[in-house]
Amino acid sequence: MVGYFLRRLLLVIPTFIGISLLVFTITRVVPGGPIERLMTQAQLGGETGGLTRSQSSGSTLSDEQMEELKHYYGFDKPLLAGYAEWLGKVIQFDLGTSTRYQDPVWDIIKERFPVSIFYGLSTMILTYLVCIPLGIFKGMYHGSRFDSLSSAVVFLGYALPSYVIGIALISAFAGYFDWFPLGGFVSDDFAEFGFWQKTTDIFHHAVLPLIAYLAGSFAVTTLMMKNALMDNMSADYMRTATAKGLMRGEAIRGHALRNSLIPIATSFGNNISLLISGSFLIETIFNIDGIGLLGYEAVIERDYPIVMGILVISSILYLVGNILSDICVALVDPRIRFGESRT
Amino acid sequence: MSDALLEVKELHLHYPLKKRHLLDKPSAFKAVNGVSLFVNPGETLGLVGESGCGKSSLGKAILNLQTPTAGEVWFQKTDISKLSNREMRPIRRDLQMIFQDPYESLNSRHTVSSILEEPLIIHSLGDRNQRRKTVSALLDQVGLPQSAANKYPHEFSGGQRQRIGIARAIALQPKLLICDEPVSALDVSVQAQILNLLMDIQQDMGLAMLFISHDLSVVRHMSDRIAVMHQGQIVETGNAEDIYCQPQHDYTRLLLDSIPQIAQ
Ligand SMILES: Nc1ncnc2c1ncn2[C@@H]1O[C@H](COP(=O)(O)OP(=O)(O)OP(=O)(O)O)[C@@H](O)[C@H]1O
Ligand SMILES: [Mg+2]
Repeated sequence: MVGYFLRRLLLVIPTFIGISLLVFTITRVVPGGPIERLMTQAQLGGETGGLTRSQSSGSTLSDEQMEELKHYYGFDKPLLAGYAEWLGKVIQFDLGTSTRYQDPVWDIIKERFPVSIFYGLSTMILTYLVCIPLGIFKGMYHGSRFDSLSSAVVFLGYALPSYVIGIALISAFAGYFDWFPLGGFVSDDFAEFGFWQKTTDIFHHAVLPLIAYLAGSFAVTTLMMKNALMDNMSADYMRTATAKGLMRGEAIRGHALRNSLIPIATSFGNNISLLISGSFLIETIFNIDGIGLLGYEAVIERDYPIVMGILVISSILYLVGNILSDICVALVDPRIRFGESRT
Repeated sequence: MSDALLEVKELHLHYPLKKRHLLDKPSAFKAVNGVSLFVNPGETLGLVGESGCGKSSLGKAILNLQTPTAGEVWFQKTDISKLSNREMRPIRRDLQMIFQDPYESLNSRHTVSSILEEPLIIHSLGDRNQRRKTVSALLDQVGLPQSAANKYPHEFSGGQRQRIGIARAIALQPKLLICDEPVSALDVSVQAQILNLLMDIQQDMGLAMLFISHDLSVVRHMSDRIAVMHQGQIVETGNAEDIYCQPQHDYTRLLLDSIPQIAQ
């Protein structure tokens, strides 16, 4: 089994190369790259007015300058050579320099980590903390009034887009009632606060965005928990447990519950990639400087080193998360022995 | 007849049917439709009938695993049909069932030793050491190696799994064992072994059995008396030999004729 997971870990490498090569190629062929951007800027700086580009292209930048720029961005090399060079740097933990800020990509991303990890972790913990008990309760009292009512609430949150919820929350509770700040991750005078004040400040800012994040994520996990539990509750071995003399509650706790936590455990590993992928819509609405917003802006502004940098981190997290999921499953389910041909 | 271990009187088990439309009257499928029977201590009553006639449903209703719709189940002079799960607990020691499907009825994520130990824990029988001894004695009794204790159900063949099911059912030394088609899911070559094991156990422990099967020749081999079930009702009861040689009811004759005659 250890051998199996080692092999899985090695497979991460070709998969990662596949993903990054694909995105690297896209950055090469999609129009509007950094050079074109500079050209337009140069044009607009030199001549005001709506000139068509074809007319004046090359007139503001000499061919020499163009070559220099292409060399600077590595666009002068053929695709594969350029990719190999990029990959060589990534292996040495060098993600390059942002074309927009002229700062190292890693520094820019690192700066956003605390915010994204805070929201990612809080969303994940709160989701499990609410969904697992809620799902269990709904499963045990299937068809009760509480079950139908909570389903309605959970599905409403699922059906409404998170930005709609975000805007509604901000206009109601930050605009009309003024209970919460309008946005941002912390207050302006955060640095002067004591530890306790800092903590409350962060959470005070976090309440509304967290609700917007959570509203959509409750439905899936809650229903997954509920359905898994109900499946197991009607299984034959539960009848055996009753025949042994267990009460319903004891039988659920001792048999059905553990077995129905397996699908939840499976989803756990995948969620670690959520840690750094905030929704840029929510981040925009609440003015949070997280990775979601950074990635979105980088794509719009064609800041390719940042795009590739975020891709590197999130794809590695995703691939490792998948393996973690499988390890979780193997740990909780004795029937699963990965990598052995015998059944 | 009052000294019977188990006496079932006019037992009904109806499964509610889904309404097809709003104005549809709530209706029910009568899986067990007024069954009366009794089992004396140490005796085997065979219950035979075709697939779907309600045999498993009757077994579950007797054990109160599925609450009966109506009727009485007298076990050791108590009517258990209306007891709650909590009140049933002490009675379950004496009343056990072997289930039809040896795989589905065992929790796949528990080891054999914890499957066998759990009933002992529930009924607080013995300390840890004693329970371990009981488990190993049970494995011996059903012919499984001691190494089976730390394995999971999926690591066994169908026949071995049914041995685990039997060991589990006799762990509490019950007085009545309901065997719901214990061999129907098994290979013919294994069936005889399991049936012999059950008969050995019955002799050792002085068990009474309600032996359910759709196979009249198996039931005849196992039983002192036989009850024939058809569409939720008992159509004929009698001594095993009588039923086999002089069937009174048309349905019994039909069942007998359907036994394939291999050896002439
Ligand atoms: N939970 C249930 N809900 C509704 N109908 C059911 C349920 N369980 C069984 N039935 C129906 O009751 C009838 C009798 O089922 P039962 O399992 O008692 O048959 P059986 O005699 O044990 O058959 P077999 O020999 O195939 O095991 C069947 O027609 C079945 O469709
Ligand atoms: Mg059956």
